[in-house]
Amino acid sequence: MTDGVSRRALLGGGLAAAGAGVGALAGAGGTLAAQAAAAPPPDESIDLSQSHPFYATAARQTQGGIETPPQRYCVFMTFDMASTLTTDLQVLLARWSAAIAQLQAGKTIGTVEPSHGAGVGADTGEALDLGPASLTVTVGLGPGIFDERFGLAKHKPAHLAAIPALPSDNLDASLTGGDLSLQACADDPQVAYHAIRDLARMARGTATVKWTVLGFGRASAGANQSTPRNLMGFKDGTRNIKEPADFSKFVYLKDDAGWMAGGTYQVVRKIEINIEIWDADVISDQQRVFGRDKVAGAPLSGGTEFTTPNFHKAGDFNGRAIDPTAHIALAAHENNDGVKILRRSYNYTDGLNQYGQLDAGLFFAAYMNDPEHFTRIQTRLGASDRLNEYISHIGSGVFAVPPAPRSGSYVGEALFG
Amino acid sequence: MSSGNPQKSRLRSVLALTAVAVSAALVLAGCSTSSSSGSGDSSSSKVNKISVTLTGGGSDKCAVSSTSVPAGPVTFTVENKSSTGITEVELLQEQKILGEKENLAPGLAKSSFTVTLGGGKYQVYCPGATKELTDFTVTGKAAAASNSSAATLLRQGAKQYATYVDDQVTTMVATTKALQTAVDSGNLTDAQTAYAKARPYYERVESDVDGFVKPGFKATDNAGNLDYLIDMRASNLDPKVGWHGYHAVERDLFQSKAITASTKTLAAELTSNVEELSKLVPSLSYKPEDLANGAAGLLEEVQTEKVTGEEEAFSHIDLVDLAANVEGAEEAFAYMRPGLQKLDPSITKAIAAQFTKTDALLDTYRSSTGLGGFITYDAATKAKDANTISQQVQALQDPLSQLAAKVATA
Repeated sequence: MTDGVSRRALLGGGLAAAGAGVGALAGAGGTLAAQAAAAPPPDESIDLSQSHPFYATAARQTQGGIETPPQRYCVFMTFDMASTLTTDLQVLLARWSAAIAQLQAGKTIGTVEPSHGAGVGADTGEALDLGPASLTVTVGLGPGIFDERFGLAKHKPAHLAAIPALPSDNLDASLTGGDLSLQACADDPQVAYHAIRDLARMARGTATVKWTVLGFGRASAGANQSTPRNLMGFKDGTRNIKEPADFSKFVYLKDDAGWMAGGTYQVVRKIEINIEIWDADVISDQQRVFGRDKVAGAPLSGGTEFTTPNFHKAGDFNGRAIDPTAHIALAAHENNDGVKILRRSYNYTDGLNQYGQLDAGLFFAAYMNDPEHFTRIQTRLGASDRLNEYISHIGSGVFAVPPAPRSGSYVGEALFG
Repeated sequence: MSSGNPQKSRLRSVLALTAVAVSAALVLAGCSTSSSSGSGDSSSSKVNKISVTLTGGGSDKCAVSSTSVPAGPVTFTVENKSSTGITEVELLQEQKILGEKENLAPGLAKSSFTVTLGGGKYQVYCPGATKELTDFTVTGKAAAASNSSAATLLRQGAKQYATYVDDQVTTMVATTKALQTAVDSGNLTDAQTAYAKARPYYERVESDVDGFVKPGFKATDNAGNLDYLIDMRASNLDPKVGWHGYHAVERDLFQSKAITASTKTLAAELTSNVEELSKLVPSLSYKPEDLANGAAGLLEEVQTEKVTGEEEAFSHIDLVDLAANVEGAEEAFAYMRPGLQKLDPSITKAIAAQFTKTDALLDTYRSSTGLGGFITYDAATKAKDANTISQQVQALQDPLSQLAAKVATA
């Protein structure tokens, strides 16, 4: 169970090759040598020329960055509207949409070098030559867009409301809320950063930046991706939504959502990890906290990573093999009325905090067809999750993610009659 | 300078003066749907239609459906199909804007403007396009010539601005001498008050006067660089030259809180350097783009040195300097405004609105008891408000930074 070599080989060679690989590598000797020799897993080979289209080609298509296989890096930023003019909001969404379409195609937003030297470039240029790198930018509308300022209250999505105060919340107002959100994910961090930077630049005077998170090391798996690890060293998202049927049942909004049909809701949390304290925790307790084996990712009720956890199996932790207060027990859909949400998280670091400790954690992003599903799960987690001793929810936001626009249109166009 | 708020009232008076010129310009600039520019040609009663199509994809293009029409009313219909780099289209004649559409973004409905044009040469201007200017010819009877072009007004404004700079530097000499007198008297409180009063003048015109090197010195030698000798901060000291100027005096008055013989020497030396500067400044002349670049440069100072609290590290009167930077930029804008109004009424309006918002924000920090008329920019204020100030200044700086290109080609 503690053999890092075998996991690496398994990921690298696929299931069939793994059996042979484990033996051969283990026989060859030391862990380090074996890890260095292991080939990267197939889904980790990155093609930076790959691009995702921004515009929808059919009705009720969802924006990119939701079902899109998670890219390696993500920059998230929220904004508050500075202008109270409805046309300013409209122009901003239209300009953002067209710009995102070009950015996702690996192009610049207008010229980098104006024809005369006294001009300011429309694009800042740092992503030139880097390729599209699978960039997706996902635009979200916060509850504030539908308040009294813009005359859009009648279009307010049915389930869009601020997340209520939840158990264990330790929210910092400066990391919370926002009228608009942008989630830019790419396989090159500079491509993702460039997108957010230039879109923020486009917003100046219309909207002010509010809070941002720079994510790395995707901490959730999409279909056909191996399960990555969070900064606590555990596989994150083993049971994440991957099947089309689950997307349609739990993530996308249906025709009764009107102009939001095909859209979804985005819930984001900035979750700080008390890294030093976690690192000092013994492995048996770490595994009890999560309810999984650290290296293999298998549930403590037995089996391999993808074996369905048996939350009833007897054991040593409060009478169960998987402690009823373990993270996976409380988060499991079996224990939450069958509710599932799509997790699309990233690890983050902000360097060191004012006490000289590592300032890092998880940028939790999730998509669902009703934010209440998150609230329900987090209410249980916040109340009794063993993980709470090591983490702190410091930021929060909820946004309606409209469907993708067709070419010649823009995100949220249906709002402006 | 007595008590009260002289810098603010001076600013307002300049704005009031220019307002007259602005109204005149508004009458002349035909920027609405039925321009009076050009006498028109009654022989052509039907409205000619021109479509302007913007496309993007990394190299943004502005396509004009026809580049020649007979004199008479012309409707320009503008559609942005996919361009992210072009957000406005203007019809120009001799740099005068005859009609325009702004806020053009893909997905928004087509929009149009109609102008009545006499025969002559015009240009369709699409800032940000690969080819920004498209020549446009109107055949038939010529329009009456315009009497005052944007370029002329901008040149006039730049000339008048020179007087403003001279005036600020003259006052700087007086307030700096007053600082020296207070230092010489040995009264710390008086000297601190005098320091705060002396500071705004340099900060208002810094971008115009920071280039002087004393005769006989190399450009790279800080010992002969007046900006270094007058306004150098602790963070950028040149050990070969040592510390001189306002901030060296500030250190003594606010950190060690003691007036020594060395403080008196520094204050006297500062006066003589400011006097030397005041002799050189009248030789300066300005082009319109100098005003634009200077205004944007002053706001850059706000972002890099004032918002961070680096400028006034000991006295914490950074808000005094910050307001002075903004006021200096607002002055430069006021002198450009009559010409700008002709050149681009929409950006002029946008910038004026951002100045109003910035002024309103700064007003919230004014304090009748605070040193220099503002609250202290201490750590708590910085933590609470730096972000708000920075974002407002950025919202102002962005459109201001677009101006140099516009006025340079006017």
